[in-house]
Amino acid sequence: MMNVMLFGPELYYLGAALVFFFLSLRRQPQVKGDYQIALALAAGGLVVTTLCLCQHGELFFKAYRVDLFSQIFKFALALGLFLVLTISHNLAQIEERFHAEYYLFLTTTTIGMMMLVSSVELLTIYVSLELSSYSLYILVPLRKGDGIDVEAGIKYLLIGAVSSGVMLFGLSYIFGATHTTYLSEILPRLPQLVASPIGLLGLLLAMAGFFFKLSVFPFHFWAPDVYQGAANQVTTFIATASKAAAVALLLRLAAMGVGYGYSFTKALVILSVVSMTLGNLVAIIQKDLKRMLAYSSIAHAGYVLIGILTLQESGYIAAVYYAVAYLVMNFTVFMVISEVAKDGRDLQISELSGLWRRNPLLSLSLIVGLFALAGVPPSIGFTGKLLLFTSAMNQGYFWLVLIGAVNGTISLYYYLRVVYASYFTDDPSLPMVVVSTPTRILNYALIAIVLGFGVFPDRVVELAKLAVKSVL
Amino acid sequence: MTEHAASFPILTCMLLSPVVGLLILLFIKEECHCCIRAVSLVAAGISLGLAIYTFVAYDKSLGGLQFVEKYEWVKTFGISYFVGVEGLNAPMLLLTGIVIFTGVLTMWELTLRVKEFFIFMLALVTGVFGVFMTYDMFFFFLFYEIAVVPMYILILIWGSTRKEYAAMKLTLYLMAGSGLIIPGILMLYSASGLNTFNMVALHGVHFSPWIQKVAFILLFFGFGVLAALWPFHTWSPVGHVAAPTAVSMLHAGVLMKLGSFAILRVAMFLCPEGFQYWAQLMSLLATAGIVYGVFVGLAQTDLKYVIGYSSVSHMGIVILGLSTGTVDGLNGSVFQMFAHGIMTALFFSSVGYIYDRTHTRDIHQLGGFSKIMPVASAFFITAALCGAGVPGMASFWAELLVFIASVKVYPVQGMLAIAALVVGALFALRVVQSTFFNTPNPKFVHFEDVSPFLALPRMMLIATLLFFGFFPQTMVGLIKSAVVPFLQGM
Repeated sequence: MMNVMLFGPELYYLGAALVFFFLSLRRQPQVKGDYQIALALAAGGLVVTTLCLCQHGELFFKAYRVDLFSQIFKFALALGLFLVLTISHNLAQIEERFHAEYYLFLTTTTIGMMMLVSSVELLTIYVSLELSSYSLYILVPLRKGDGIDVEAGIKYLLIGAVSSGVMLFGLSYIFGATHTTYLSEILPRLPQLVASPIGLLGLLLAMAGFFFKLSVFPFHFWAPDVYQGAANQVTTFIATASKAAAVALLLRLAAMGVGYGYSFTKALVILSVVSMTLGNLVAIIQKDLKRMLAYSSIAHAGYVLIGILTLQESGYIAAVYYAVAYLVMNFTVFMVISEVAKDGRDLQISELSGLWRRNPLLSLSLIVGLFALAGVPPSIGFTGKLLLFTSAMNQGYFWLVLIGAVNGTISLYYYLRVVYASYFTDDPSLPMVVVSTPTRILNYALIAIVLGFGVFPDRVVELAKLAVKSVL
Repeated sequence: MTEHAASFPILTCMLLSPVVGLLILLFIKEECHCCIRAVSLVAAGISLGLAIYTFVAYDKSLGGLQFVEKYEWVKTFGISYFVGVEGLNAPMLLLTGIVIFTGVLTMWELTLRVKEFFIFMLALVTGVFGVFMTYDMFFFFLFYEIAVVPMYILILIWGSTRKEYAAMKLTLYLMAGSGLIIPGILMLYSASGLNTFNMVALHGVHFSPWIQKVAFILLFFGFGVLAALWPFHTWSPVGHVAAPTAVSMLHAGVLMKLGSFAILRVAMFLCPEGFQYWAQLMSLLATAGIVYGVFVGLAQTDLKYVIGYSSVSHMGIVILGLSTGTVDGLNGSVFQMFAHGIMTALFFSSVGYIYDRTHTRDIHQLGGFSKIMPVASAFFITAALCGAGVPGMASFWAELLVFIASVKVYPVQGMLAIAALVVGALFALRVVQSTFFNTPNPKFVHFEDVSPFLALPRMMLIATLLFFGFFPQTMVGLIKSAVVPFLQGM
């Protein structure tokens, strides 16, 4: 019985996936009914992950660790899935007969990510990563359209496959050098491993898989095309939940390595700086909103790396806080996109014009979400960024903080362009945007969370602290 | 620094009054302009009342920090909510209260997107109050940014001349400043090893000279951008011109003071050795700003540009006063922040009234405006006299103190600044003459003068200037009670 609770969230979502599987077998799709079932199951998932929050233990010959850290991220993933489903009420870009598959693969990718945040053994990590990736490979080209979806799907698959290959290659080196696949046995040998060329190469190659998920330079090339090419809801999921899972795993690796001394933080500093700067600079020239957000996500991956490379408790706390904050604030922006683009088209920044008149609430949410992404107070984005910088400065990374702060200024420029379009330009030909009552409530809730936890971060920070303590 | 806890959370009430007003506004219908104005006025009025109360009730003989409220906020990172009042920030709180109250009255005639305007304005004021009262660096920076960001929206929607350019320029300049401030603040935080953002606690730490020098210059330039420090001032005249009246008032009157106040409160307070090292540079840049502002400003033909550049020069006086590091200099500097705030608010308020009717701010077009609107013109002329440092006005005492101190410490810079001001006074009279005492422009003859109600906010500002002009001791004594221990602590 105990073990069932330990594996509870995963089992629950497996059951949910089975339900969707049977739904997908029906000849006549029932769009409305399916959606309600999906939403109910996702809401149930939130309850289950909450109930399992305080579990801890080990499973499957110690390849699988359940602790507060993993359970918090499982809750965040369940929340991400639920939020994405709340904006899936009109999947205009996905054919009706594929709706059940859409739910099915969203659920399986969530299972994959949940397993990922608990895995502490190389092969388990690899299998979980692939489970979540393969589902996404299918979800991306589900969109009906003019071929842009296929291009995105193929790009995603190819870059994903290459990075998996690279990762597997790296893992084989690590296994060859240490004769074990358990992280807990590899990490004590890390100093020798890093000292030898084969070990260092293996480690850096093995990181590739996570960098791909997190879209850190130089594995970021898929992000703009996939963000643009996938259906808005799928993009939302990739941009929020998928990022959180990758951060979680990187944090666990980094946390287990504390005390053994990683010597490749220099490499991480470089990746962080390049990701931030490149993402922010290229985002400036984008016209398509989702592409712009893709580049901004590359920049944000750079910010999160700051917290990870400090190799300190405070840095991990900041990274956990920022990962969760990023999930919420990015979702806020994507929710606005999918509400404004009701027919599921790609939204140009110029198409937001006059949003303050067409729907004041959505424009308010947009402004709050964007300012949070830019790190403007009083928002979770600001508090998160400040905590990240604080922990980095404590470790003496003065230049990193300076570059990060300057990057904040650069990013504000392109976020302000979107604010400008929605608040100050007006195009009378654009239609009004009507939102349903549940969406209105969701809007208010998101605004309250983004602002509330920015001013009162203590609860979240304390929770993050407990989570980090459980893995250190 | 001794701390005296507040028996009643006055400062929090002062801070929350605009927030509550803002929240109420969110739920009022857009069409009900009267309710919106009334709510904003009440919110601003409560803040003003409390600001006056703290100003009067501050016990000078007791000294130290009074009305202190302190709560732990984020334990892990040593962040606390810590507000208090002393001689340095009491005048600033009063200034903010007066400017926001008169600002709301000045914008009484606004009809475009009224609700949003007051929401953003109250958000901005919350930030300003927060900066002036907090003693925790995290909250200091948080409020600082809250005060800066709404400017973008306020200028863009309600602004005029070249507003898109001005709004973006202003925001990026100020954010770039923040980009310097963050590393500066965090450097002090991490170098102290105390794991606290509490400035009073950090003041007790003796930072190594190298850290002090680097942190000071980062903070000085970072905050200096907002204080329109030469050569980072270029956003400021453009921004003033583009902003709507009340926003110009708040911006030039209060927001720029955030910059100079922050230099005093954070940079000089925490890095005394850094200050000693960079004081010469400070005085040079300040003098350059004074001279430059006077000459460029008075060659302008747009009234708002004239005021914008004169602000650059007056803010230079503030920085010059700070750079002396003497009791008189700091006294004058803080007094000048207050006096200049009220004075520019009056300037913009009267220009705004004229512009709303004539839709021009061109000196030559206005011609003999005093014959058409004697009262409105009188407001402007009073402000101009105050700017020129006529005795009987608050600025006179402030500038006098700064010049006395600067001539002692930096004779060359001090003499240059005084010379610039004398020339500036001549030019100012010329502007007044050609705007108000030439032949009147027949186009504008039909306009009516200021109604008593709309004259009220301007009268309040003039009354403040005169009151502190005739009773400077009320202000100087209060400031001195903080400046003396401040300098001893350095």
